[in-house]
Amino acid sequence: MSRKGFTIWFTGLSGAGKTTLARIIESRLKGLGLRVEVLDGDIVRTNLSKGLGFSKEDRDTNIRRIGFVCNLLSRNDVVAIAAAISPYREIRDELRQQIGVFVEVYAHCPIDVLAERDVKGLYKKALAGEIKHFTGVDDPYEEPYSPEVVVNTDVELPEESAGKILARLEELGLITRVATESYNEDDEEEVRRRLESLGYV
Amino acid sequence: MQRTIVIGLDGTPYSLLRRFVDQGIMPNAAQLVRGGTLLQMDTSIPDISSVAWTSFMTGAGPGRHGIYGFLDLVQGSYKIFFPNSKHIKADKLWDAAGRAGRRSVVINVPSTYPAQPLDGILVAGFVAVDLNKATYPQELVPKLREMDYRIDVDARKIQQSHDALMEDILKTLERRIEVLLHLFDKELWDLFVGVITETDRLQHFFMDAAPEPGHRYHSAFVEFYRRIDGFLGAIAERVRGETLIIMSDHGFTPIVKQVYLNRWLADNGYLKLKDNPKSIEDIQAGSVAFALDPGRIYINVRGKYPMGTIDRTDARRIADEIKRGLAEISDGGVPVIKAIYERDDLYSGPCIDAAPDLCLQSVYGYDLKGAVHKQQLMDREVFTGMHTQDDSTFYINRPAESLVVARPNIVDIAPTVLSSMGISVPQSMDGHSLLVV
Repeated sequence: MSRKGFTIWFTGLSGAGKTTLARIIESRLKGLGLRVEVLDGDIVRTNLSKGLGFSKEDRDTNIRRIGFVCNLLSRNDVVAIAAAISPYREIRDELRQQIGVFVEVYAHCPIDVLAERDVKGLYKKALAGEIKHFTGVDDPYEEPYSPEVVVNTDVELPEESAGKILARLEELGLITRVATESYNEDDEEEVRRRLESLGYV
Repeated sequence: MQRTIVIGLDGTPYSLLRRFVDQGIMPNAAQLVRGGTLLQMDTSIPDISSVAWTSFMTGAGPGRHGIYGFLDLVQGSYKIFFPNSKHIKADKLWDAAGRAGRRSVVINVPSTYPAQPLDGILVAGFVAVDLNKATYPQELVPKLREMDYRIDVDARKIQQSHDALMEDILKTLERRIEVLLHLFDKELWDLFVGVITETDRLQHFFMDAAPEPGHRYHSAFVEFYRRIDGFLGAIAERVRGETLIIMSDHGFTPIVKQVYLNRWLADNGYLKLKDNPKSIEDIQAGSVAFALDPGRIYINVRGKYPMGTIDRTDARRIADEIKRGLAEISDGGVPVIKAIYERDDLYSGPCIDAAPDLCLQSVYGYDLKGAVHKQQLMDREVFTGMHTQDDSTFYINRPAESLVVARPNIVDIAPTVLSSMGISVPQSMDGHSLLVV
């Protein structure tokens, strides 16, 4: 039996692919008939956490708020997917305790690859000192010690990383990717009719 | 790392493909043949899809994988059951690929229903019933429904008309090709296996149209194969250094007559059935032997079957006697039986106990059947095509010099695929890689 609500927590540096993966996982899980909500760090900062800055305190508040919503959703049978840098280990572990069914996904990509790609143009500015408190440049990022999944987005295609995450969710018993109803007498009768129509019975 | 593509054309005879290539009906196939090797291949005995495709996917014979037909008997009884994917006792090609960390996309391979988990995706083929149970992982189902994917042609359309069936065959083929190409393009894979079943369905009902230009459905038959050629062209233009194998699980030939082995057994005193029997479950005491579709003969051995009458020590003598009798079946002087094999001639492995005692092969045109209700030994039904064992198709996009044999067997495909991908061939496979090392 698969559990309906749980939280998938993406952590990793800016540009590591958290949002991309969250959206793929969202659509795959919806395909399984689950209710899914994505809380994207960039979007949350424009409403739920509007006005918060990038000090450690503000970052912690932001993450706690996202975690709070994830918890509400999870216990109401929704799969909550958070995609936020969430650089501090302590807060992530605090949320793990709070939420219970918490799947931490570390989107890992070496900083030089990220700076090279620089999809949002932020690394260039941070390295030039135009943006302060930029995680991985002049602000710390604490890698998780034992995340449920590590995806290496510098070498994996997004579909490949998504496949790893889904396989892990299946392993954890959170999703069922095989049809739950089994082969039954109705099937058997239909099989007989089909075989008959081709002269095999 | 080398990737491999296997395209299955259910029931496409080598001889037909060769002819259409030579006649310019299949220009894409012709192009492929110029850049590779097209061979005639032997398939499993019996030469029906469930046995042949299981042999394909396991690289092993029925003695190892345990599938001897579309239907079989529950051990120690005459009760019929329909083997499904859970009854396959040997590892599949994609299991071996998965263990090597390689991902497979497996679409419409018969006998894979219900879908079993694998590293990759699988949409089961014949005799799949419910798309949910046919699909792994489940999250693929909405997309398949959105694309109006059809598991199978509805062969019952023949009761409406040949036109209705032909229309369904073409529509199903169109949906199948669209989904195959979509998954080919969108999914990640190291091994892609995609099967077309409509070839088989066409040939069951329209095989007589193939050789006769004057036949009402001849041009439809040819047009159908032009579409298959279009699909092969679409695959060929996507090949980027992959190994490409195109194969069929058996051949086809027009039917002259269907031959009912249980009628022969009954007429010759070997089988007693209730009045108006529906299946072999209606067997009566005193029976010596019975047949299951297509050419499987079982000696009714005491201890093995509830109403077994023959001592194990006598079974061999009885089998010899029946063999001599069956060999003489003829249709107006034309012999019907080409070969009769004994169990140990054909099978070995842990599943041998479920094997038939004798297995018959007919000459082209005489389709062996296990029906129990027939009053005459031979007749014709709506079907115009029957399977052949020695005319399956094997193509690989490599020169003939790179192959070790000129006449492959279907069990050789799985080892060939694995070795083309640089994966070692498991011990459980009876076949051998066709590639020169």
